[in-house]
Amino acid sequence: MATPGQGSGTGSQPNRLETGGLVDRSRIVRFTFDGKTYTGHPGDTLASALIANGVSLTGRSFKYHRPRGILSAGSEEPNALVELREGARREPNTRATVAEVFDGLVARSQNRWPSLDFDVMAVNSLLSPIFVAGFYYKTFMWPSALWEKLYEPAIRRAAGLGRASDEADPDTYDKATAFADVLVIGGGTAGLAAALAAARTNARVILVDENATLGGRGVDDGADINGNPAHEWVRTVEAELSSAPNVRILRRTTAFGTYDGGTYGAVERVSDHLAVAAQGVPRQRLWRIVAKETVLASGATERPVVFGGNDRPGVMLAGAVRTYINRFGVLPGRRAVVFTNNDYGASTVAALKRAGAEVVALVDSRAQISDEVKRIASEAGARLLLGAVVTGTLGKKRVTGVTIHTRTGEEERLDCDLVAMSGGWNPNIQLTTHLGSKPTWNDKLLCFLPGTLPHGMSLAGAVAGDFTLGKTLVGGTSAGSAAVTAAGYAAVSVPVPKAADESDAVAPLWRVKSPNGKAFVDQQNDVTESDIELAEREGFRAVEHLKRYTTLGMATDQGRTANVNALAIMAEITGRTIPQTGITVARPPYTPVSLGTLAGHHREKHFKPTRLPPSYRWAKENGCVFVETGLWLRPSYFPRPGEKDWLETVKREVTTVRNAVGICDVSTLGKVDLQGADTAAFLDRIYMNGLKTLPIGKCRYGGMLREDGILMDDGTVARLGENHYFITTTTANAVKVVQHMEYCAQWLWPELDVQIVSATEQWAQYAVAGPKSRELLQKIVDPAFDITDAGFPYLGVGEITVCGGIKARLFRLSFSGERAYEIGVPARYGDALMRRLAEAGKEFGACAYGTEALGVMRIEKGHISGPELNGTTTPRDVGLGGMVSTKKDFIGHVLGKRPGLVDPERPALIGFRPLDRSQRLRSGAHFLKRDAQATAENDEGYMTSVAYSPSNGHWVGLGLLKRGPERIGEIVRAYDPVRGGDTLVEVVSPVFVDPEGVRVRG
Amino acid sequence: MANQTLLATSAFLHWKPVKALNFTVEPRETLTMASFAAAKGKKDALAAAIRAAYGADLPKGSGRVEGNGIAFVWAGPDQWLAIAERKDGRDLESELKAALSGIASVVDQSDGRVVVRISGSDARAILAKGIPVDLDARAFKPGNVAITHASHIGVILWQIDDKPTYEVALFRSYVDSFAHWLLDSAAEYGV
Repeated sequence: MATPGQGSGTGSQPNRLETGGLVDRSRIVRFTFDGKTYTGHPGDTLASALIANGVSLTGRSFKYHRPRGILSAGSEEPNALVELREGARREPNTRATVAEVFDGLVARSQNRWPSLDFDVMAVNSLLSPIFVAGFYYKTFMWPSALWEKLYEPAIRRAAGLGRASDEADPDTYDKATAFADVLVIGGGTAGLAAALAAARTNARVILVDENATLGGRGVDDGADINGNPAHEWVRTVEAELSSAPNVRILRRTTAFGTYDGGTYGAVERVSDHLAVAAQGVPRQRLWRIVAKETVLASGATERPVVFGGNDRPGVMLAGAVRTYINRFGVLPGRRAVVFTNNDYGASTVAALKRAGAEVVALVDSRAQISDEVKRIASEAGARLLLGAVVTGTLGKKRVTGVTIHTRTGEEERLDCDLVAMSGGWNPNIQLTTHLGSKPTWNDKLLCFLPGTLPHGMSLAGAVAGDFTLGKTLVGGTSAGSAAVTAAGYAAVSVPVPKAADESDAVAPLWRVKSPNGKAFVDQQNDVTESDIELAEREGFRAVEHLKRYTTLGMATDQGRTANVNALAIMAEITGRTIPQTGITVARPPYTPVSLGTLAGHHREKHFKPTRLPPSYRWAKENGCVFVETGLWLRPSYFPRPGEKDWLETVKREVTTVRNAVGICDVSTLGKVDLQGADTAAFLDRIYMNGLKTLPIGKCRYGGMLREDGILMDDGTVARLGENHYFITTTTANAVKVVQHMEYCAQWLWPELDVQIVSATEQWAQYAVAGPKSRELLQKIVDPAFDITDAGFPYLGVGEITVCGGIKARLFRLSFSGERAYEIGVPARYGDALMRRLAEAGKEFGACAYGTEALGVMRIEKGHISGPELNGTTTPRDVGLGGMVSTKKDFIGHVLGKRPGLVDPERPALIGFRPLDRSQRLRSGAHFLKRDAQATAENDEGYMTSVAYSPSNGHWVGLGLLKRGPERIGEIVRAYDPVRGGDTLVEVVSPVFVDPEGVRVRG
Repeated sequence: MANQTLLATSAFLHWKPVKALNFTVEPRETLTMASFAAAKGKKDALAAAIRAAYGADLPKGSGRVEGNGIAFVWAGPDQWLAIAERKDGRDLESELKAALSGIASVVDQSDGRVVVRISGSDARAILAKGIPVDLDARAFKPGNVAITHASHIGVILWQIDDKPTYEVALFRSYVDSFAHWLLDSAAEYGV
């Protein structure tokens, strides 16, 4: 017989058994809980180590601040939630039942002040008659304005759980994808048998198990397999699987979600059992596992019984009691009462007796039980109370006794320090329901079993309702063989391990009526059986309403120990069956997944990839300030010493372009190469303006519409040869335009001969803009090429060479309104060309300019950009109505003629300047008639883009105004309630610089 | 000064050498690349021309073949990426334009894409951290090609040999982000 304590060499752990369990007694680990140091052994969870040390109070409850202890031994734990670690690694709401102890672990209880032992907020418990379900909804309704500012913060302070760290997470997280012929979820006896059967065929097998050690309840129950203790069989199977190259075992890994196409999400806690992750090793890894076939062997979770004071520390699930004894070698109590409605009560009695505890009584709600159970109780010296129930618990921070309602209606008190309860088992069916399948109720087993399974999934063990050890081994072996056959491998015959089938008889007991004290259904969210009665009285009878009204099942444990009891109680109250009452939908994740794991590598500036343009390095060396545009990091402006703010810099850059020459990296614009005999016809159907007449060696501005007639993108089309075109798109739409074109070529007009290739990254392309741009270019363009105005006029394009034979493309295009060019070279020369242009430009007073100056100059010229190309505007809205061809069909042509899109009342693009020239303008401001009330009915459009115009010496704006082009000269209000602006503006031409367009032609 | 030639800049300027026991990363710096696509109705003519000029059968679906120093990598419906060492002035754009005149369009990609060679027995586990493709020896073999993504970066991936050695082609501007992901992922393997 194992006895606790004495002479075990672990004297400071009074409840550690001398033998048994899988912990390594030869080694000691030290950890602290609420500042006090304790010892444990490798293999312990925090919960088992606390039990070993006689600590039974682990936290205070969410709402009533009641003392709480350890209920379970697994991931379903609702009570023993603790803060682990310190500083930046502090993590709240961690289940002590799954956290492994390690040397130096620091753990704290939660939700108590000033201490766990004396908690001021426990006063809530006295007020419990008013803290019923829906209390917050009913009490803090008025005035609604106070909700955010006062009620919610106050409630959160009182009711919160743990505290997250305020510091940046120092750990790393990882993501990976794995593929399997057969995925086995759960490493209990059923899962191991399935994995073994599948692995022997040489199929690729992945076995995931959420615990540190395999074996599941086979180990927890201390049963025998093939005549030896189950853990020996587990070790043999594990050894075979570990050495098989076709098998991957993922321990400490929880499969948390089922997704389409045989895909599963899983979290591997790679380093959570270590003080600090090893160099380069992530803390946790998110697995995306794609499996041809999946054997779900996820086991079952035991149900608590709902009776008075069933939340008191020392009240524990009966299966957990067996786990602590058999897996961890600790004894959760010395004087136990076992309270049950099923035959597993007997194995708990036996386990307790074996471990040296006194079993005071076996309280069984059933009037009739088997002789075998009677024999076990008798051997253990336990009183057998049949047809009896526990109505309440005695004690404060630890149970000291129970009150019993006997079969004959008498009340009786029994002294004890442990209540092991079992209300039966719920198969862990969650992963079967994530794709929408409804579970089905089984009246004999008293549980929900999986309904229609997701494609490729099969079941083994307790999740299938096979609760007994013998059945898990038979079912596991056959499920493994069937799955591997379905995955295309010839099954190998595997002998089924032999084990006895214990009795799993059970009779309904959902709650004890007239409980002595509060009877909890959901312990994490403090929902009692009387809350369910209240919800029923107030009409929240549907399970989804019950859930939301009482918050039952909505805590981090997802109500795994609560949901079935709750709906069974609701069924009982409403006189319906459990299937009629229904079950709430379980969604991923099965257990909580930290956000860091979901983010993985994609955090902070690596949230998304960054694209660097060819001049990036030069720009950085020259003090550039960058701006993120999509994934690109583009030069925004180039401050120089002495410039006091960005505006001064941008003014200088604009003035330089307008008076001398500037250089801007425009490589990020999308570039697409189109070739083929029908390219001209293809482009003519894509663009709204005519392109058939575009001669070789020329560019043209073009716009394209969506099918619905709304502007999609604009850019330039250059014709390089008879059947060779090169187009540009906006930076933002580069990918979308190529996608659109490929769709059109492959699906709409497969008869056309056109080949589309993205060439965005092949070319480093710089705008060289300003009156001296040609002079600067002449410094680098090889002399064989004529770039005089006669030889290379506005809108010309040519394939040339620069700097002694480097191939290049030159376009005479302007976005600034000045004489301007775009020069492209293969990207590897981009950095060198930028340096050369900057150097050669010195004698012309050149400067580099960024997107800010680019934006100012395009607004000064009335050119549209992102704010106007915003997915709601038509060509006419933005002043491009004249470009739209009436002589051809093209995408968007027909739907663009819908009455709503050609309504003359639609806001249309026009320019604005402040009446008081010293005032600044704000984009987003809404236009109102000068004397109109600021109401939505009077809204006449809004300002899309504004800039301080160095050329005009005041702010200018572009905006969409109802009948805008007809209203030049009118004064309207630009009303901006968000930023408190209300400015009178004058409607003017949208072209603020060089309205005749002389400069661009030189 | 002005007409001195321009010096090429490596796309891998910020890369550090990667050395680990079972993992190597080698940027391929000196490649000439061109994508080519069959003209309407010229698929067979294109295949014949490539066979005649290079002794290679263009893969009709996902795949990679070699011929006369050129690797032909499937890059989409009726599209391929041709890759060769840029030595002795070899330039695939002009070479293929001459060889495929009238039957395919050819576009220079020597600068648009970069190629990284990744090799070693840890390569599969490392690539699995960002590439959602089954690279197990049973599922993906030398000569196989996948158009996929690596940690949100679009890539073309192919296998060279059984070590295993892979090559990944990606757009030039993503090189630093790709390196960051790759080194992060390899940290667990001693990089």
